[in-house]
Amino acid sequence: MIRDYYNRNALDEKLRGAPRPPGANHLAIGHRQAVSMVLAVAGEEDSVEKLLSSATEFTGRFSAPGEWLVVSENDTPEGLQRRLDALCSDKAHIVDQSEARVLFRISGPSMRRILAKGIGLDLDPNVFATGASANALCGHIAVNLARTGEDAFELLTPRSFAESLFDNLMTMGREYDLTAAFAA
Amino acid sequence: MTAYRLTAGGLVDRSRALSFSFDGRPLRGFAGDTLASALIANDQLLAGRSFKYHRPRGIVSVGSSEPNALVTIGSGARSDPNTKATVAELYAGLTARSQNRWPSLGFDIGAVSDLLSPFIGAGFYYKTFMWPAQLWEKLYEPLIRRAGGLGRVVLERDPESYEKSWAHCDLLVVGGGPTGLTAALTAARAGLRVILADEDFRLGGSLLSETQAIDGAPAHVFADRVVAELQALPNVTLLPRTTVFGWYDDNVFGAVERVQKHVAEPLAKLPTERVWRVVARRALLATGAEERPLVFGGNDRPGVMMAGALRTYANRYGVAAGRSVAIFTNGSAGYQAARDLHAKGITIAAIVDGRVAAEDAAPEGTRVIRSASLIDTRGRRRVSGIVVERSGFEELVACDAVGMSGGWSPVIHLACQRGAKPVWSDTLSAFVAPDVGGGLRVAGSANGVYTLSGCLGDGAAKASAIASELGFKPTQDVMPETGEEADPSFTALWYAPGAKSKAFVDFQNDVHTKDLGLALREGFGHVEHAKRYTTSGMATDQGKLSNINAVGILAGMRGVSPADVGTTTFRPFYTPVSFGALAGTARDKHAAPTRKSPLHEWARKNGAAFVEAGPWYRSAWFPRAGEKTWRESVDREVLNVRANVGICDVSTLGKIELFGPDAAEFLNRIYCNALLKLPVGKARYGLMLREDGFVYDDGTVSRLAEEHFLVTTTTAMAGGVMSHMEYCSQVLWPELKVRFCSVSDQWAQIAIAGPKARSVLQQLIENDISDAGFPFLAAGTVTLKGGLKARLFRISFSGELAFELAVPAGFGIAVADQLMDVGRAVDICAYGVEALNVLRLEKGLPTHAEFDGRVTPDDAGLGRMVSPHKTDFVGKHLSSRYGLTAADRMQLVGLKPVDREKDIRAGAHLLREGMKPSTLNDQGWVSSACFSPVLGHHIAFAFLKSGRERYGERIVVWDKLRDQEAVAEVCDPVFVDPENARMKA
Amino acid sequence: MASLITCPHCGVRPKEEFAIRGDASLVRPAPTASDEAWHDYVYVRANPRGRTLEHWQHVGGCRRFLVVERDTFTHEVHSVTDGAAFARENGK
Repeated sequence: MIRDYYNRNALDEKLRGAPRPPGANHLAIGHRQAVSMVLAVAGEEDSVEKLLSSATEFTGRFSAPGEWLVVSENDTPEGLQRRLDALCSDKAHIVDQSEARVLFRISGPSMRRILAKGIGLDLDPNVFATGASANALCGHIAVNLARTGEDAFELLTPRSFAESLFDNLMTMGREYDLTAAFAA
Repeated sequence: MTAYRLTAGGLVDRSRALSFSFDGRPLRGFAGDTLASALIANDQLLAGRSFKYHRPRGIVSVGSSEPNALVTIGSGARSDPNTKATVAELYAGLTARSQNRWPSLGFDIGAVSDLLSPFIGAGFYYKTFMWPAQLWEKLYEPLIRRAGGLGRVVLERDPESYEKSWAHCDLLVVGGGPTGLTAALTAARAGLRVILADEDFRLGGSLLSETQAIDGAPAHVFADRVVAELQALPNVTLLPRTTVFGWYDDNVFGAVERVQKHVAEPLAKLPTERVWRVVARRALLATGAEERPLVFGGNDRPGVMMAGALRTYANRYGVAAGRSVAIFTNGSAGYQAARDLHAKGITIAAIVDGRVAAEDAAPEGTRVIRSASLIDTRGRRRVSGIVVERSGFEELVACDAVGMSGGWSPVIHLACQRGAKPVWSDTLSAFVAPDVGGGLRVAGSANGVYTLSGCLGDGAAKASAIASELGFKPTQDVMPETGEEADPSFTALWYAPGAKSKAFVDFQNDVHTKDLGLALREGFGHVEHAKRYTTSGMATDQGKLSNINAVGILAGMRGVSPADVGTTTFRPFYTPVSFGALAGTARDKHAAPTRKSPLHEWARKNGAAFVEAGPWYRSAWFPRAGEKTWRESVDREVLNVRANVGICDVSTLGKIELFGPDAAEFLNRIYCNALLKLPVGKARYGLMLREDGFVYDDGTVSRLAEEHFLVTTTTAMAGGVMSHMEYCSQVLWPELKVRFCSVSDQWAQIAIAGPKARSVLQQLIENDISDAGFPFLAAGTVTLKGGLKARLFRISFSGELAFELAVPAGFGIAVADQLMDVGRAVDICAYGVEALNVLRLEKGLPTHAEFDGRVTPDDAGLGRMVSPHKTDFVGKHLSSRYGLTAADRMQLVGLKPVDREKDIRAGAHLLREGMKPSTLNDQGWVSSACFSPVLGHHIAFAFLKSGRERYGERIVVWDKLRDQEAVAEVCDPVFVDPENARMKA
Repeated sequence: MASLITCPHCGVRPKEEFAIRGDASLVRPAPTASDEAWHDYVYVRANPRGRTLEHWQHVGGCRRFLVVERDTFTHEVHSVTDGAAFARENGK
């Protein structure tokens, strides 16, 4: 018996039903992307950071000293693992987190006002510029926050918290008519 | 009819009439009114009854210092008690009710307590109701609760919504008057990120009631112009209706914005109130100054108001509190009020001036009585005249309102909230803000600068200095032209001599001068003692008007300077903040995050009943048609696992992967058992201690490769163990080369247990999982048919042949469905945590019900796990200390009721037969219990003194909580398959 | 207590992102050290008025244990350093 198993997104239940047209402020849930945690071998932190920043296919998102999350839109989880293994060779341990993290891609003119309702970081572009990333709390939930544009952010959250974070974000965004759907 | 709406003037919109009601009476006001100004316009000056004596009280002030006009706004669940009418913005349909009166505001039975007032002076709580003590609960307390108090809270669920938000800025300006506006403008033009917050619904502060022109135009026009410019700047956030209530460490401010308090029908998408946490590099306090009331006989009569309030009501709201107003003053401000009222056509009955001589100009034709004191007032629910005394001669002057002006107190509350005490200034006769460093500065009237031009200049100068300090280039702006200004001076007068009736210091708490005298005589003269003894300065207004006079009177009575008396302690909140606002969205489902297993939907569609386990929802049992009680379902699940096979969601266990050359050494140091030689491809039970020698957590350790491990933790301790490991690797042994990462969320993990587990699982898996190919405690990667990579562990928490299969989380449901499909032929069932618990109890396996923080490995029967050969591990040293190795420690045993029909519950205590229940006779306790469907009776785990020596003994299980008692036999805690034959099959 | 902590790895963060573990000046005794040394290490804590060294874990951020040097009276934070770096400097 050979089977193809169906992979469910953690927000399948939340986003069931006909999608509404996206509004100006919109939350898109990443459907398929590969996520890896890169853990630098002791003493190799700097060289791993250089290797990650040299890559063009993805960017490392800062998690902790010597630890980065890498998100890839184009790779499979196994593909990203192989690519990172090859890139970092024996300088880092690569842990697949593709199933462990849910990607919230959130954008729109009111984004800073919305996120300020949960996140204590100063999101002024002069302080947290495009390309910046950090772990932070959104309400009570740990996220990795990355700025992907002036008004665009991505949040990676542990899968088990995804529904709660989704509820939180929708509450935070109700003032600005935040809409949500799976990413195209 | 005395109070009335002026025919013209003010900043109310006379084209927009708003209807509202007070105590059921329909009334009308205008847009731009507060409830207080609209009440005055309707000649409703009487607003409430006082706290203790139930004396009639009227509106006194115009802002958040109001002690009297506390009303309940709204109805049903939307009622807001103790709302100050003076800050409540009028809206169409507003309903307000007066408080602390029965049966009505005009006739209040409680007012009899005023006649009893000689018996209920200061400290009466502490004396009168002392004896007899048994009457306290039954009589005194209910009586006091009914008679005293302010508004009533409603017990219905609050339908409003609230939220919190962070804000970051270079400069927070607190107060939107002349000082705040110019400061904000100066800073904003220089490019700073500015937040300007003001309690009022309209920015402008005193400019809105100012008659002095700025740049040749009315002051409010200037205010509007500045606000318009600020509004247009992208680096400015204007927050009207926002009270900055607290100043916290690191220049973080708390503020509450009343987003929709002023609307009849709030929008669902907006919160009613929003709490801001403002992180400010610098802050400027531009909170202005509070006019002081004067303490004179009968000063609480409705109609006696602050002179400045009368002026604001007339200038800003176009209402007059009376037709003939007497002014009692000790400074220039009283004259200013008299001039403005006179200009509006209001008669000034007289100006009573406590000073001997003054230069101030009274309005044409007004009688000024200098060097005089106001000693009493006439009237009942409304002042009808004042008694003036001069050189021993008394005179009755008829009037229908009194304006009092006792000088000015800078509003410095926020600056004193972090421990620094206010500083007395002899020059200003006032307490001023202490120097609290550069983060928070004070400007304008709050800084003792009382002239308009002074305020405008001070605001701009301070903002300019802050801008330069932060590296911005302030522009050099021309200051607006203000023309000639009145002298704002006054001579402090704490107590008008000769009072003929009660002279109130604190209106809200009914504290009069004699109360302060009593406090001093009885040894409570320290300002903090006097506050508690008399209640002066307590409750919702926290003595905004009264404190300074109380300090002045205490100083006078003690013969010292106010500097020696000092002030009571300033603390957040500046004004009351609702609990709802402070909770924000953190209620109901947002109170704490919930976590869901990747198998949650699988469990739900299989009919699971869920139980909350910390943040998780775990499937507790899976009821089937015909099962009436949870026990029926659980018994079936247990028996089916023992006879056939069941699957259970164990995804919530913590999972941590470790890497590195020192990973094995690291694990060897954090677990008490030996792990260095764990072979690749094998799992081992691991027990973790705390440094004090007690058990912390247990789980499994699997070696996936030479330098690659996977450990599991219990669900409850997953976060704690992760932190513990981080502490050990970062702080205790930073030299160890180990990295780790939580993979709890990466994997859906399913336990497959029962004699038919292998046959079911083998149908899904490519690899050989026979006992030879995958023996007990094997661990490794397997491939599911179809190619999906998974991890398989042969571990058992039930005593049955069992596996745990981990698949990438998103595939969890599909794989669980498939297991149920292929297992249907052998009657597979889903089982929940209740059955899991029964299975582990039958098998004698302890968990956190046993590891309660007081249990050593040996207590739990796991003493042999503690490696005697390791040189070090967390908990090693103290686990061998005296007391933790004593022979009479409570040891884990099993219990079986002698009468098999009896049940045993966790929490019961153990006693020798015939012994009375007492701490001394306590032999132990029951930690876990369940009905064992395999044995057909209840079984339990208990901790019993020297328990392992006492198998076979009879013991009484005493359960006072449920009033049950049973006799049980002490036994080995392994009830099923002690030879492990089933597990290793 | 501080409202904001400047994490050396993540920048200025609200205190809600941190969990306080306690005295950071303690040094874990050798396993063979005396009972008294172990008792002191596990149970005995000073409650100073003034400067203290404490471990604050940035649980809502990088999850590093930080050594926060702060004043329990003025609430001033004097320094924040990484716990591992601090441990290494202090003889580990």
